[in-house]
Amino acid sequence: MADGTVVRVRNLVKQYATKTALGGVSFDVHAGEIMGLLGPNGAGKSTTMKILTTYLAATSGDVAVDGVDSADDPVKVRAMLGYLPESTPLYTDMVVYDYLDYVGSMRGFKGAELRKRIGDVIRMVGLQEYVGFQIGTLSKGYRQRVGLAQAMLHNPKVLILDEPTSGLDPNQIVEIRNLIRELGKSHTVILSSHNLAEVRQICDRVVIIHRGKVVADGTIDELEGKVASTHRLILGVQPKAGAAAADVVAALKTLDGISAVHLTHEAKTPVPHANLEIEASRDVRPELFQWAQRDGHSLVELRRKAMDLEGIFQSLTQDAN
Amino acid sequence: MNAVLTLARRELAATFDSPIAYIAATVFLVVTGLLFFFGHDGSADFFGAREATLRPLFEYAPWALAVILPAVTMRLFAEEKKSGTLELLVTLPVSDVQLVLGKLLGAVGFLVVALLVTLVFPIAVAMAGNPDLGAVAGGYLGLLLIGTAFLALGLLTSTWTHNQIVAFILGLLLCVFFWTATDALIKVAFDKPPLTLQLLSFRTQFDDFAKGVVDMRNVLYFLSVSAVAVVGSTYSLQSRHWK
Repeated sequence: MADGTVVRVRNLVKQYATKTALGGVSFDVHAGEIMGLLGPNGAGKSTTMKILTTYLAATSGDVAVDGVDSADDPVKVRAMLGYLPESTPLYTDMVVYDYLDYVGSMRGFKGAELRKRIGDVIRMVGLQEYVGFQIGTLSKGYRQRVGLAQAMLHNPKVLILDEPTSGLDPNQIVEIRNLIRELGKSHTVILSSHNLAEVRQICDRVVIIHRGKVVADGTIDELEGKVASTHRLILGVQPKAGAAAADVVAALKTLDGISAVHLTHEAKTPVPHANLEIEASRDVRPELFQWAQRDGHSLVELRRKAMDLEGIFQSLTQDAN
Repeated sequence: MNAVLTLARRELAATFDSPIAYIAATVFLVVTGLLFFFGHDGSADFFGAREATLRPLFEYAPWALAVILPAVTMRLFAEEKKSGTLELLVTLPVSDVQLVLGKLLGAVGFLVVALLVTLVFPIAVAMAGNPDLGAVAGGYLGLLLIGTAFLALGLLTSTWTHNQIVAFILGLLLCVFFWTATDALIKVAFDKPPLTLQLLSFRTQFDDFAKGVVDMRNVLYFLSVSAVAVVGSTYSLQSRHWK
């Protein structure tokens, strides 16, 4: 499309027999973008993806990929998409190469072209040493690579990845994230996650879904700015000789801009200090630093409390009310 | 069309990767063998028969097919549903009816192999006597057609569930029902069964093939049943949209 929109979703509603999974979801995905679909479990992320991939039909609403309406011509839309469903369902009895050969043939490739594509994706996802392995014998991380390889085989316009890192161990998560970032350089990617940190690392933009509705759409920074009306800081203070943690709390409460101070715990080792959580109306980090210096306390920690997904949801849904 | 053949090839290979194919083919060979050697009417077995014929084999072989073919088709969609691979399969740029046809064609591939193995019997007859080769060919065509109908029915039940055992039992019931129960039920219900109802029975439709007579109407009947089951399977696959 002229404006660079590759995927256009409008007023998507999915009504199951007893519940409404999606209650009017709309968003756009632009060419070359890595878009994160974020939301708690059961928010409607997977349902949205299943509709995008034409696995499910929406009760109402439209999805268009590169201008093609997915209800009018699902086969043409499918040809433009690469899809990795949640939990990576693969034929575990097949050998990696045979599986990719099968998927490629089903997508209409053959002969030298097919062999070249298989070779390309195998290199892209780093499966060179495993082409002769049965998929069932591979670790979860490598199965995920096979899943990505089948999704990439036809060089799709849009890659749709449903929770691509769930169930992986920390090392595998890092590998798969790097891989997705690499793929994102040359592809439009939509991925879903319930992990804010992950989305922050990988995605250019996020759409947050909560109870079947889009509650936010923008870059992570924009969203955090929007919801962070209260600044939460984590503070570690080693009180000066003779002072107790309670004195520190009392002193902090008198500072301008600070609305609440909670003593979370007192640590004994390695450096004895009081751990505090502070709510402030603005970013008071410079003042805190100066205060500690002035009163003779030592700061052992001072940072902004990372907004967790729950916090963002709470803020966003409170805003909506 | 290419995707249909690719899928058929993959399904045929997967069928022969599992022990069920070998068990099913062996059971079929043994049952048809017993029918062939001992299934002749009256007292005479193959060795005592005066006639070089395979008619008893053709008359009873559908029984064996009705039992073993649902075991071959039970995994076709049920397994994909259970493992979640169906989601990837149906989001390939292939229409649902092509998927159903590809799976059915793969299963027909197995049927052809199973039937080819039993060619030892006509060959034995040909060495011992002088059978009517046209009748033998007609009988085999009949088995291929009725087998395809059984496979299509089994495929249909496999789209209904993610449990292979359930798919098998439903497929078995459906095949046995069409092969024998329709006939019996109609005879119980009517003193003089109307011809239209009699024609619904697989047995009625298969009779001529067993005698070695190829009637286009019988051919069309089995092809129609298979087509109806293919359409039903396609709808069943698409029912995910409105659940």
